[in-house]
Amino acid sequence: MLEIRNLTKIYDDGTVALKNVSFTVEQGEFLIIIGLSGSGKSTLLRCINRLIDPTEGQIIWDGVDITAAESAELRTVRRQIGMIFQHFNLVKRSSVMTNVLAGRLGYADPWQSLWHRFSPQDRELAIKALGRVGISDQANKRADELSGGQQQRVGIARALMQEPRMILADEPVASLDPVLAHTILGDLDQLNKEGMTILCSLHYLDLVQRYASRVIGLKDGEIVYRGSRADIRAMTDEQFKQVYGAEAIRVAAGLEGSLG
Amino acid sequence: MANNTNSKAAKPEKRSLVSPVVAAVASLILPGLGQMLARRFRRGLIVFASVASITGLIWWLFVDLSRSAQGIGLMLTKSLRRAPGFVILVLVGLVVLWLLNVWDAYRETQTRHRADPTVFILIGIVFFVLGWQISQIDPVTAVVELPDAWPPLSKVLWPWEAAFERDTDVLAASADILTPCDDEPPPEAPEKVEGEPYMVASPTCGDLTELDENNQPVLGTTLHLSASGFAPNTETFIFWIDPIGQEFRIRQEGAYISVMTEADGTFEYDVTMPYRLTPPSAEGRQIHEIEARQITEVGGLKPSEPLRLTMARMVETIFLGMMATIFGIILAIPVSFLAARNMMSGSFLSIALYYLSRTVLNIIRSIEPLIWALIAVVWVGLGPFAGIIALTIHSVASLGKLYSEAIESIDPGPIEAIQATGATRLQTIVYAVIPQMIPPFVSFSIYRWDINVRMSTVIGLVGGGGIGFLLVQYIKLLDYRAAGIAVWFIAITVAILDNVSSEIRQRFI
Ligand SMILES: Nc1ncnc2c1ncn2[C@@H]1O[C@H](COP(=O)(O)OP(=O)(O)OP(=O)(O)O)[C@@H](O)[C@H]1O
Ligand SMILES: [Mg+2]
Repeated sequence: MLEIRNLTKIYDDGTVALKNVSFTVEQGEFLIIIGLSGSGKSTLLRCINRLIDPTEGQIIWDGVDITAAESAELRTVRRQIGMIFQHFNLVKRSSVMTNVLAGRLGYADPWQSLWHRFSPQDRELAIKALGRVGISDQANKRADELSGGQQQRVGIARALMQEPRMILADEPVASLDPVLAHTILGDLDQLNKEGMTILCSLHYLDLVQRYASRVIGLKDGEIVYRGSRADIRAMTDEQFKQVYGAEAIRVAAGLEGSLG
Repeated sequence: MANNTNSKAAKPEKRSLVSPVVAAVASLILPGLGQMLARRFRRGLIVFASVASITGLIWWLFVDLSRSAQGIGLMLTKSLRRAPGFVILVLVGLVVLWLLNVWDAYRETQTRHRADPTVFILIGIVFFVLGWQISQIDPVTAVVELPDAWPPLSKVLWPWEAAFERDTDVLAASADILTPCDDEPPPEAPEKVEGEPYMVASPTCGDLTELDENNQPVLGTTLHLSASGFAPNTETFIFWIDPIGQEFRIRQEGAYISVMTEADGTFEYDVTMPYRLTPPSAEGRQIHEIEARQITEVGGLKPSEPLRLTMARMVETIFLGMMATIFGIILAIPVSFLAARNMMSGSFLSIALYYLSRTVLNIIRSIEPLIWALIAVVWVGLGPFAGIIALTIHSVASLGKLYSEAIESIDPGPIEAIQATGATRLQTIVYAVIPQMIPPFVSFSIYRWDINVRMSTVIGLVGGGGIGFLLVQYIKLLDYRAAGIAVWFIAITVAILDNVSSEIRQRFI
């Protein structure tokens, strides 16, 4: 269970990105975070694996205080939390295989890995992870030679290498077209069905309705909406836009457009 | 100007402060003033500044042309005599420009008018004419001198005859000749040694050719030469060596004389004793020498001394460039972190350090390597080390800037992603930072190596070692063939380097 207690983040320039945010996530949930641009979604997700140090508050994960973890302990926590990014954040010039193997760095021998040496088991795991997201045949290409959807799958494979118990996904489909958005979220949904906890920020109402088991809405760093699966299903576009603002759109509309 | 017409709808046209005629008169008195009064301030300012500087430059050139003559009239006539075309052209230009400026002021007062660039075009033309005179452009000389320049130029363009040579062997035999004949016995014929070249002259005394009062030659004694022991069927030159050891080839009827040897290595030949100006102190009995010489080339072709020196210096040049690049890279890496904004945005101190290093790099970079070389020569003396210092200083500055820009443009996304996997700091650098740094790093370093080798070919001009040093020496000695060899080597090396470096860069990007 992940427990966020009174989390506050104030950036060096004085921006208050999160204000006293508290919520809990049970193991196996698919929690979707919605909110306007600048509402603090990325900040929240990055606080959970400490890419950003929160200013105040606590994050307790299965009894471990992530906010207090330092160096080796922090790395142990991090390697159990996979992360997927809007812009994939692959190392573009490295091969797909190297990118995927990089997901194993938290487990690998710190010195051996500097020379790109990984154990045969790790390599096998990488091949399996690529197989799982359906791009085994791309393993030796350079990451930037792949399409956007394929790159995001490499991102997922990299996260899977961590054998994580939780995945943080920061707008994983925002730079993909609607068809790909569904397939990528389908991949995450499949993982979720196998028991993975997923925290994901999203923009599209119908994706939220389809995949979320629970939703929280952020506005100016505060939680302004909490809803269960049933609540979301019942939500109209109007209500959605209230949390979300005018930017919200249905993927379906875009989908029809793109399929002509 | 142009945007006046475009933005007419958006904002009301600025109305002129004065009437067209007033503006025209104002501009006649002070160019640009009328335009300013018409509220075209920038246009007026440009016109004024241009006319003022053109007038100033013309004045200066007239003073220069007339060798500082006193009085405007004298100055004008003197200048006109020395450079009539230029003086007329530039004066007409100035007058037309002045009038055009008046007309321009008149037009600018009108609210509706098209942007008219005529004044600026004329200003451009006048500056071109002035530039032509000031920079002493002289196409006539370039054409007229070309035929004279061709022989040395052709040697530079095709110097390869001087690139190789053969060892030579000299076969020579000589006989002493006494002048004038006297009571004493004339010199003996030399002793004959079997297998060595041998020559006897008869007689062994006689008179040199002399000039009479009318400068007509009075031919001297004819000597009969018979020689043996030379190489067969080879051209043999006849030299005359006077008592003070000066030698020259004998001419008869204007042409140098030479003999072909027979199949058995002998020849017979008649020579008239040549004209020799002998100093009065050498009056009286003198022993001269006549010598037959064969020069034969033996062995295969071998590189000549210029070629060997050039190659040695070229190697020195390439390594000079290489060492400077290596030192430059090593020093530029730490410097580039200081000059990268995203690395230095922590405290006040680091930001100050960032600005300091940026400024220093910019100053160093703006001074040419040749000037650094002059300074380095003063510091460590002539030679390649001075060149290395100069190129290193310049490389650090320019690589430091390029690297720091590469660091600034690094994508933070992959760094975040690798950190999120639980990687250590070192692993993050190896997996996320270095792969992003390699292409710009390699590309900039190779590019710099390329520049450094090019620069090292000229750094020798100021004493910084390398092939440039040799090149200036050859040019000063008027040895154009040797200079040509050096030029060719520079060209070939730079061309090869160009290809190699672009090849390497392509592989890494
Ligand atoms: N490094 C930073 N320094 C200062 N302020 C920041 C920084 N990163 C984000 N912020 C500010 O914090 C607030 C929340 O940003 P955050 O990136 O978390 O929003 P978001 O909900 O992810 O937006 P988006 O949907 O556009 O990604 C914004 O006002 C942003 O300007
Ligand atoms: Mg965000």
